[in-house]
Amino acid sequence: MLKHLYDTDCVTWSPQGKLFQVEYAMEAVKQGSICLGLKSNDFVVLCSLKRQPSELAGYQEKQFKIDDHMAIAIAGLTADARVLCKYMRTECLEYKYTYESHHPVGRLVFKVAEKSQHKTQSGAKRPYGVGLLVAGIDPNGVHLFETCPSGNYYEYKCQAIGSRSQAARTYFESWFHLFEKSTLEQLILHGLSALKKAIMEDEELNERNVEVGILGKNQKFIHLNAQELKDYIVKLETFNANAQIQQE
Amino acid sequence: MIFNSEISGQQQHTTSPVVTGGSVIALVYNGGVIVGTDTLCSYGSMAAFKNVQKIAQISKNTIYASSGEFSDFQQVVKELAKIDRSALQYDDGVHPSPKDYGNFLARLSYKKRCKINPLYLQNVVAGFHNGERYLALVDIYGTYLESNFITTGFASYFCKAIISNYWNENCTLDQAKQVIRECFKVLFCRDCRAHDVIQLAYVDEQGTHIEEQERVDTKWDFNGFKFRANEKLHTQ
Repeated sequence: MLKHLYDTDCVTWSPQGKLFQVEYAMEAVKQGSICLGLKSNDFVVLCSLKRQPSELAGYQEKQFKIDDHMAIAIAGLTADARVLCKYMRTECLEYKYTYESHHPVGRLVFKVAEKSQHKTQSGAKRPYGVGLLVAGIDPNGVHLFETCPSGNYYEYKCQAIGSRSQAARTYFESWFHLFEKSTLEQLILHGLSALKKAIMEDEELNERNVEVGILGKNQKFIHLNAQELKDYIVKLETFNANAQIQQE
Repeated sequence: MIFNSEISGQQQHTTSPVVTGGSVIALVYNGGVIVGTDTLCSYGSMAAFKNVQKIAQISKNTIYASSGEFSDFQQVVKELAKIDRSALQYDDGVHPSPKDYGNFLARLSYKKRCKINPLYLQNVVAGFHNGERYLALVDIYGTYLESNFITTGFASYFCKAIISNYWNENCTLDQAKQVIRECFKVLFCRDCRAHDVIQLAYVDEQGTHIEEQERVDTKWDFNGFKFRANEKLHTQ
């Protein structure tokens, strides 16, 4: 394939109608470690698998609070994620300063998407190499969005991005019809179950490499602490999604 | 948001108002918020424009009125309308609440004040959102105060006694209207720049209602006036 003829910069189309630089940027997202999000009527839960560059190193954080009512989980280039995170936090602060209320979630995602698109239409720029899962609450309800380097954004009931995320998405496809009415605990356990599907055979979930963040209508964004994570991972052993169906 | 004077470099500062509107009185009642103004714009001591609507509907559930420089009132109405238009661009069905407008106006007023070029206004923003009544005063300095009743201008001096004696926050709409009418009656008698034609507007669960202008009842057939009982005419 003569890809190399058309992939030098963002301002070159391929004959098949593709922008290869943008597609390569989306690859960077797929290389990042998995993060997923799922929502019920009242809560959004973000779960991520943290990578440890070496035994000596700490684990790379993947979830960041944007405002009390909004948080993101990242997959891809962490440095690019920091830029977008800072932008989102600044926008939220400005909105709060001007209007004394929370920045509507969809609107901020739209702004991030606009910013991302801008980078795909210039000879001198490159797209952001990070995908975000944006969890947020606003008067319109509970939201989960995904943003792409291409500048597209989508709203989801549940979504997983990053390495081996297809396995998590397959889990979601089987069980997402239960999420709407799930309790917070069930939602977290579903999230961790999906995460478990996506780890390698020799890996295991523990309180160091898992990050869980929750956000609710009356719950500001918080991370679960190490003890809570341990408890949930233990509960995961006996968690049976089937049991939830029988309950309803 | 840049004003034309700033672009042209000929920075003019508002030091005194030219065409001014009179007092605004706003009260909360059981089920909504009501705002009353008179319909006069004065050109100094001349009653120049006697048929002016000084209450603007900003959105489905927000109204805005102010006393002070009337051209600034008109400019603020444009600026507040701009906010909701930008909501169309985002296409997300989220509209500013009355509180968003009030706070935006406070930030705007403060910015202008910091440049020593204020919006020469005492602003009142009123609305009804998610079952809650909203009423706020934003003054010329950008001070923001939410309250159950607001008076601007001379009403702050003459009408607070009437309001505290005859109004409470859970009165009916009609009771609140009567209190405001009584206040404007007193204002017409005592404030040189007041007018006897007033306009009321209220916001409740159903939305905004701006009423027709009405003339305040005034009584002039006192014996003292008719028969000049207390005056010594030089012909007597």
